[in-house]
Amino acid sequence: MNEGLAGEQQTGAMQVVMIGLGEEKFALDAGLVREIIDPVPVTKVAGARAFVPSVINVRGNVIPLADLRIRFGMPQLDNSEDTRIVVIELQLDGEPVLVGVTADKVYEVTEISQTDVQQTPRVGMHWKPEFIRFIAKWREEFVIVPNMERILN
Amino acid sequence: MNAMDPTEVFRQEANELFEVLEGALLDLGQRPDDRELVDSAFRALHTIKGSGAMFGFDKVASFTHEFETAFDRVRKGEIKPTQELISVALAAKDYIRALIEDPQSTDDIIGEAILDDLRRFVSSDQPAAPLEAIAEVPPPAPADSKQAGWHLYLEFESHILRNGSNPLDLLEDLCKLGPCFVVPVTDGIPFLDEMEPEDCYLKWDVKLHAACGKDAIDDVFMFVSDEMKLTLSPLEQVEAPAPMPLFQLLDEEPAPETEIPAPVLEAVAAPVAAQPVAKAESKSESKPEPKHEAKPEPKPEAKRDERGIATVRVQAERLDELMDRVGELVIAQARLSQLAASGSDLSIKIIAEEIERLASSLRDTTMGARMVPIGSLFGRFRRLVHDLSRDLSKPVEFVTSGEDTELDKTMIECLADPLVHLIRNAIDHGIEDTATRAANGKTEQGRIELAAVHSGAQVLVTVKDNGGGLNTARIRAKAEEQGLIAAGAVLSDHEIHQFLFHPGFSTAQTISALSGRGVGMDVVKRTIENMRGSIDLTTRPGQGTTVTLRLPLTLAIIEGLLIRVGEGRYIIPLSAVEECVELTAEDERSRGRNFLNVRGNLVPFLRLRQLLTASGSPDKHQKTIIISTGETRVGLVADQIIGNHQTVIKSLSKLHSDVTIFSGATILGDGTAALILDVAQLVTLAQSKVEKQHISEAA
Repeated sequence: MNEGLAGEQQTGAMQVVMIGLGEEKFALDAGLVREIIDPVPVTKVAGARAFVPSVINVRGNVIPLADLRIRFGMPQLDNSEDTRIVVIELQLDGEPVLVGVTADKVYEVTEISQTDVQQTPRVGMHWKPEFIRFIAKWREEFVIVPNMERILN
Repeated sequence: MNAMDPTEVFRQEANELFEVLEGALLDLGQRPDDRELVDSAFRALHTIKGSGAMFGFDKVASFTHEFETAFDRVRKGEIKPTQELISVALAAKDYIRALIEDPQSTDDIIGEAILDDLRRFVSSDQPAAPLEAIAEVPPPAPADSKQAGWHLYLEFESHILRNGSNPLDLLEDLCKLGPCFVVPVTDGIPFLDEMEPEDCYLKWDVKLHAACGKDAIDDVFMFVSDEMKLTLSPLEQVEAPAPMPLFQLLDEEPAPETEIPAPVLEAVAAPVAAQPVAKAESKSESKPEPKHEAKPEPKPEAKRDERGIATVRVQAERLDELMDRVGELVIAQARLSQLAASGSDLSIKIIAEEIERLASSLRDTTMGARMVPIGSLFGRFRRLVHDLSRDLSKPVEFVTSGEDTELDKTMIECLADPLVHLIRNAIDHGIEDTATRAANGKTEQGRIELAAVHSGAQVLVTVKDNGGGLNTARIRAKAEEQGLIAAGAVLSDHEIHQFLFHPGFSTAQTISALSGRGVGMDVVKRTIENMRGSIDLTTRPGQGTTVTLRLPLTLAIIEGLLIRVGEGRYIIPLSAVEECVELTAEDERSRGRNFLNVRGNLVPFLRLRQLLTASGSPDKHQKTIIISTGETRVGLVADQIIGNHQTVIKSLSKLHSDVTIFSGATILGDGTAALILDVAQLVTLAQSKVEKQHISEAA
């Protein structure tokens, strides 16, 4: 998981969108984010994998809506007035795919500099390490930079 | 961005011409006496040569010229187009294509060899009758013959000179057919100050004293036929059996230009007008002789579109984009309609209805613009059949029908490979060898029929052979050997034939007339199913096999039936729906058997609520939608049938590729997404669930 880390260290600062899932804060690479929208009605897809349970209509495109909380074993909260959908574009098997990600709250767009990057600890985490690109420090808090490709594959 | 690379334009055009050429050559093999075919092949060759030279494909031009020269004796009817000759001609065509597409990879030696072959074939002296027929025409027209010649009135479009065509050359060619009396008609000449120096104002009135056919005259004007008006009437009587000086002629004949206005007379003095008169004069004096070359050199810019219908070349991607936009419009319109229906504003309702009407006609027009006749695809297979038939030494007659049937262009592209497979299979494994056919009392020549026909919202494409048919027992044995079915299992023939579509079912080890059948059949099936189509197979032992592909008309928008299951709304493709019935309380009660009685027929049903894991309690009155997939009819039980829905198909993303029961999604009027049920997969899924249940019960 260190190739991402190394890459960031070379390029220096990284623009991220800070989102909240449950009690945790996650930093999504701003380069992936296409737009942030208010919650829309979802359509359940019977038989789909649990972390992509539904599809939504975003500007005439039907895109999957992923739930990271399921991947990270967090409880699902009902939509609140802070809930947003972050639309990101990923490369899955070499093809660009638009995916919506439910966020309990979107904080801000900010920068994490390389000095803030912390080594991912081997112990003390209940998340699968391959889901995490690295952990950075932001305003005295540890935030997770998730590896979206891994999480969604 | 509209300026396309001219070379690319030439390539595209050449491709179309190759198709024409190939089609004509192959037809010629069947109907060697058809002059029309020879002419159309020649027209194609001419144009390739002409435009090839224009775009700097000099090799193409010179080779085509040689090809043409060699083939000229066929055109003149001196030799008959034999099968061998056609094979060489096809090879030559392939060589020209290679010269255009990939000049580096071609070798002059190959070209020379092909030309040598061609020359060898055409030089083999076959004293032919048609030559004599031409030669028989005596230079002076026979005065007593009833059909003594033709009266022609030539009117060219004014821009003809700018296109590089020279009417005088054409007249010269015409004179070669026989003695001509050419009179220029000058009444179209304007005042000098209005005269465009590059326009052609002259018309010609020609009396041709030769007993040649109409074809010979048409040949002369072949390349300008779109740009001129040719009025042709037979000459009843010969007024002047021998050529006479033009001046005299002008006096004698009631020329149409008797009422020439004064200014025009002045204009006649202009070189433009004077020249043709002089030419015509010299022509009429020269002794005409029946020369072989009745055709003019091709004009590079001569119009190639023979159809006469104005067409515009549009890049395929633009049509795709247009279709996308229309899809979005249809969705937006659905939202508007829903909004209008829920409100009470009458004027909004009127507008919404208007837009609905417009959107639906725009949709039809756009889909129509994407429609391509399937004939363009069929043409390609004639070569395949020709080659296979030769390689396998199985004479095969290839019959196509329904070439005009139109299909979405994307579908036509997708259809090519499956059809190649099916036709190859039909010839290779379907049609028996000559000896077997003879032993079975069949004609020596096998027959493959490729047909396309509209059937409701579907197009049926069939590949039919009159070969030996499928060997059901052998397929069964093979399936048992591969462990696909239990040894004693009771299966219908239809079910057994389905094993042919099983991946890797057939292997080369089976040595029989049907060996190999099935290779690639799984690919065929998958491709067809990806197009939301289905494939049927019927066979009659000893009489042949018919493979029917059922295809939707388009991939982009379908008619759907919108239903509700629990809280979710789903679309069932309307083409699969047979009827809707209410699930009676009696049917509801029977827990053990899920069967409906539809007018005395037993129809199994599936509860969509279970399959789609719907939450909440079911509606009191459940509805059943009877669908058909292949030969099975199944009822799908839903909570509510909402109605028809114009379904713009959106594909599901990779993240949902593991969910097979949905073929895609669409957007409803309220902006939510709805999933489109893949009925065939749904039935398969239900079947496998039942089987698993049985297995677990047995264990």
